[in-house]
Amino acid sequence: MTAAAPEPKANMGQPVPRYDAASKVTGRATYASDMPLDNPAHAFLVTSAIAKGRVDSFDLDDARAVRGVIDIVTHENAPKLKESKLFSNGGYAGTTIQPLKSADIAHDGQIIAVVIAESYEAAREAANRVKVSYTAVAPSASFGSPGTTTAAAKGQNAQFKEDPQVGDFARAFDEAEVKLTASYDTPPQHHNPMELFTTSCAWMGDNLVIYEGSQYVYGLKNGVAEQLGIDADKVRVVNPYVGGGFGSRGSMTPRTAIIAGIAKRLNRPIKLVPTRDQGFTITTHRAETRHEIRLGASRDGKLVALRHEGAEVSSRPDAYCVGGTKTTTRLYACPNVASLVSIVRADRNTPGFMRSPPEVPYLFALESAMDELAVKLNMDPVELRRINDTTVEPIGGKPYTSRSLMACFDEAAKAFGWSQRSPQPKSMSDGDWLIGYGCAATCYPTQMAPSAARVRLQRDGRTRVEIAGHEIGTGAYTVIAQTAAERLGVPLDKVAVFLGDSELPPAPVAGGSNSTASTCSAVMMVCDQIRQRLFKAVMPSDSLTDKAKETVGLSQAPSTQAAKSDRPLDIEKAFDALGAGVVEEYGEWKPEGAPLDSFKAMHSGHARIVGGHAMKDKIAYAFGAEFVEVRINRFTHEIRCPRLVGAFAAGRIMNPRTARSQLMGGLIWGMSSALLEATEIDQRNARYVNDNLADYLVPVNADVAGVEVILLSEQDDHINPAGAKGLGELANVGTNAAICNAIYHATGQRIRKLPVRLENIEA
Amino acid sequence: MSENSSSRRSGFDRRAFVAGVAGSALVPLTARAVAQDAKAPAAQDPALPVDVTLRVNGKDKRLQLDARTTVLDALREHLKLTGSKKGCDHGQCGACTVLIDDRRVVSCLTLALAAEGQEITTIEGLATNDRLHPMQQAFIDNDAFQCGYCTPGQIMSALACVKEGHAGSDADIREYMSGNICRCAAYPNIVAAVKQAAPEIMKG
Repeated sequence: MTAAAPEPKANMGQPVPRYDAASKVTGRATYASDMPLDNPAHAFLVTSAIAKGRVDSFDLDDARAVRGVIDIVTHENAPKLKESKLFSNGGYAGTTIQPLKSADIAHDGQIIAVVIAESYEAAREAANRVKVSYTAVAPSASFGSPGTTTAAAKGQNAQFKEDPQVGDFARAFDEAEVKLTASYDTPPQHHNPMELFTTSCAWMGDNLVIYEGSQYVYGLKNGVAEQLGIDADKVRVVNPYVGGGFGSRGSMTPRTAIIAGIAKRLNRPIKLVPTRDQGFTITTHRAETRHEIRLGASRDGKLVALRHEGAEVSSRPDAYCVGGTKTTTRLYACPNVASLVSIVRADRNTPGFMRSPPEVPYLFALESAMDELAVKLNMDPVELRRINDTTVEPIGGKPYTSRSLMACFDEAAKAFGWSQRSPQPKSMSDGDWLIGYGCAATCYPTQMAPSAARVRLQRDGRTRVEIAGHEIGTGAYTVIAQTAAERLGVPLDKVAVFLGDSELPPAPVAGGSNSTASTCSAVMMVCDQIRQRLFKAVMPSDSLTDKAKETVGLSQAPSTQAAKSDRPLDIEKAFDALGAGVVEEYGEWKPEGAPLDSFKAMHSGHARIVGGHAMKDKIAYAFGAEFVEVRINRFTHEIRCPRLVGAFAAGRIMNPRTARSQLMGGLIWGMSSALLEATEIDQRNARYVNDNLADYLVPVNADVAGVEVILLSEQDDHINPAGAKGLGELANVGTNAAICNAIYHATGQRIRKLPVRLENIEA
Repeated sequence: MSENSSSRRSGFDRRAFVAGVAGSALVPLTARAVAQDAKAPAAQDPALPVDVTLRVNGKDKRLQLDARTTVLDALREHLKLTGSKKGCDHGQCGACTVLIDDRRVVSCLTLALAAEGQEITTIEGLATNDRLHPMQQAFIDNDAFQCGYCTPGQIMSALACVKEGHAGSDADIREYMSGNICRCAAYPNIVAAVKQAAPEIMKG
């Protein structure tokens, strides 16, 4: 076995190669951007050069003179579209700022015109010849800019219902033996998935097909239908492969309905390929955040008081926030907790989900502060976590369904060689390089959402699984195929999986790391329905049917594992008894605690996600521990990160290969979050400066050396039938803190603002 | 190669083409070039299609293209070879990497007209009779991708990396594969894949 395919431990599936591997290495995998269209017209966007104000007039003469131009659409002649509510307020949209509705401009880079031409080249040239006269107003860019407004998130954002608190923080902090107060900053970041934000729309009569990379085909289908004012059944979204998501494709952006409307008017398919820099403003991003953490502890390291205040930037109309205090107030045992999340409104595009939206910024603050507290206590930071480890979250007193945090710390510490660390800052070096070791905890809520699936079994064992899930690189095809093969007892190579098409049974948004748990639980349930029919055919007597019920599960929630006593089903014999050539079943699964309207919502593109801290009598999280080595050149201050070691426990690991790859990528994302990634803002113009892949730094191969992922065995029977905790957003949390903690260890300098670049190192 | 070459193409002159593009898009940098070409005939409208023959994966492909069409757009939009990907259109990400006369180039920054008479190899040209190329197999074995969008570019780049003699050590591979961004960050697995395939490729 290669390192890429770790030997499975207890409660892990086989590390089989990806279902879609051959398609992806041969170029045969067709992403939405690759879909062939019949005689398409090409669209090119014109975006605003000011952040606030209005368009006074367009001069389109030069643009119209370009050979091949078909039409230029501005607010003066744009298709009329209906509004859609913000995703986090129960709608579909990532922003309620609807371009081309009026002359008003709400942020830099807003779409103000769309050029349609016979070729991409002509559309691009004409777009560059569009002349715009603006009336500009001085915009508010970010924290501290004149003209911003600040208010508590609670009461503004439907998903942020309260600021968690318990006990008497003020008094406990006042009386604490050891105190820490510290502030932390994280920057705006952009997802930058490799596939551009392409949208193609083709009408056949009244029916619309949309080819667009999406993490939620049912959401996009219903959202575009709502904006166009047509029946959702007339809209189909297709994307069998998605060229990276990371949250950027979870909610609908305004471009899709605009392109659909223009295509309808022209009666011709349209392909829009926005540029990389336009992607920075026509979709969402991770907003910049600020934090103040107060920790009070006894001399022996027990937390007695914790307060986390966070502030996040959003747009003028939309109260988007991530509110990571829901996690940071529950991670450690502490009797007195207070918190507050505020939203700062500026003249910016609306932010949105980006890989581990709440945890990346909020755990940076908490896990940096824990390290600072360990220094104050003269205590090993791992031991400080051990002292404050808990099986019960402190806010509501609910038990964790499983929690392997300290097991992760111990495994990762051993693999890393943490015992070799000399605790004093600046005490380790190698020639010109100062060496620092650092660590941090990571966690991510275990979430599930209602999902449907259709499974068809033929008598030769060939199986077809249909579900409108999403392959964004996570291995969805693979783990769904494995689940069906295992549940039906058919060879893996006989299973065909169909995803990424809104004509298939609905699946939830590929967000919040809920996909594997949700889709695999649905597939298990539907496979069990097939098994029941077959069992009943071969064992028609009551007692045997009862046995079938017991072994294959008749209840809404199938048992986690196929019962041990299950005898292999002779499929041929069962089909003979049934007198059928094909058995097909459809089913709808919902997690425990899902609201009454779950299935209705599922079909209309609303995912009723449950789990995490919001469960009734328990709390479910995946955990991990991360250790890093940094090396800082004592003369140039160049920062290198030669080793990243993470140990993770996330319930059943469906496929150790795909799991390891996601966690490995996550660790590198975490390193990037600490050392590379930031969208720089021109404070005067409220404009993103480094809006391209040369200036917006993401890791390249040479930035990454040793990455080690350790998968821990963990079984959790209290979360979902698949027994899986989402792990796609687990490994990139806490890494930023671990690296700053290591930089402190190397240099004695505490850096509380990300990203850390060589100019920030003083020592 | 086909009988078409740029100098013989009816009504098309490469210098005039350069001047025309320079005049519209790159004025400050190329004002001198325009002046030098003052005697050349007025630039024709670049949107008028010109005949181009591209040799792709061993086959000649006759096309009529807008003169500004890149190799990448010619492959994707005109030849329906969508394996080569557009990730930035600026030569910053490497997703569009193809081999032209065995050199790796970013096809988004290469005009189709400039590639006439040269051998273009894309990801679609690697597997023979459904038998995967060793580099493709190595990418599968080492799980060297997740979303897969950068993968065709990574594989084309990896092939060149090996043939250039830059796959001798992990550090070399990392350095010489750094022109290809993988946002899923499969980098350690990509290094492992290149290492696995290198000996077989060098053997020929």
